[in-house]
Amino acid sequence: MRLGPFTPRDHVVITTLGLEFAVAVGLCTAGGFLADKKLGSTPWLSIGGVFVGFALGMYMVVKEAKRMERAEAEQKDDKKNGSI
Amino acid sequence: MEVSETIAHHILDHDLGIMLGAWHLPITAHTLTMFGISVVLLVVCILMSRTGKSVFMRLLHTLGEEYVAFMRDGIVIPGMGIEGKPFLSYFCTLFLFILFSNLAGLIPQMKTITSNIAVTGALALCSGALIVYCGVKFHGGWGFVKTFVPGGTPWWLVPLIFPLEVISLIIRVCVLAIRLFANMLSGHMVLLSLLLIIFIIGQMSKIAGAGSAVPAMGLEIFMTLLELLVAFLQAYVFTLLTSIYAGLVIHSH
Repeated sequence: MRLGPFTPRDHVVITTLGLEFAVAVGLCTAGGFLADKKLGSTPWLSIGGVFVGFALGMYMVVKEAKRMERAEAEQKDDKKNGSI
Repeated sequence: MEVSETIAHHILDHDLGIMLGAWHLPITAHTLTMFGISVVLLVVCILMSRTGKSVFMRLLHTLGEEYVAFMRDGIVIPGMGIEGKPFLSYFCTLFLFILFSNLAGLIPQMKTITSNIAVTGALALCSGALIVYCGVKFHGGWGFVKTFVPGGTPWWLVPLIFPLEVISLIIRVCVLAIRLFANMLSGHMVLLSLLLIIFIIGQMSKIAGAGSAVPAMGLEIFMTLLELLVAFLQAYVFTLLTSIYAGLVIHSH
């Protein structure tokens, strides 16, 4: 599998993905923690929040990777059509 | 004063205690800096928009034109496409405001307002509002809601995908705020910590303290230059990410 070449825009998006993943886990865990406090179900909703956050983070990463792959394929097609 | 207290005093916001008769005005150091930056920006932008006869005025006007052209061709159109042109003024304002706010922290006695999560949160909320506005403007209210479900999703997955997509948008807005806040806060903490090394070692031994001044100041100068780069970089990244997120909403199928 070949990686790159990346545009400056790709670099910004890729470096943001890590933070998006972390924020997804943090936000969902915090949500679970608050729900736990309110419902008195400690620690199950916090644990559930961690898993939901992880799933959400993965979903965002995979979606962005697919979008970049699609954009690259479109760029290649454009180049091919242009050369013909 | 403890080291942690010194760092907190320099970085955290504090009330200036300004009173208007019996009324206590909630003006803090960050609020005052923000007012100052707004006034400076207003003056700079008014001067930029005018074509004077002096070399300085012409230079400033050319600089303004180049800046707007860079924002249009380097950030708005690559991120949002031609549909982003009406929002160019927002991006120009956003970039300059963040840049001036970041740079203000490098001036002695001034505060870095972007190291306050309330400021970056408010900026991110403005960007979030722009993203939602773009979605509603280009797809209509219901059309925007439908963009949260990617094409080809089976109907039984919609209840799962829809909330995930909504939370993704919220997370993106949060990331905008956290990224700028964390970068600016950590940069200034490092700067202060490096400076405090001299005093910490100086408390143990005055000769050692004087000896540590040279390497500590060298690192300090290096970090200040790095902060200068970070100030530009973070303003660019915040603006670019806003345009990319808005573009994703506009061009979602």
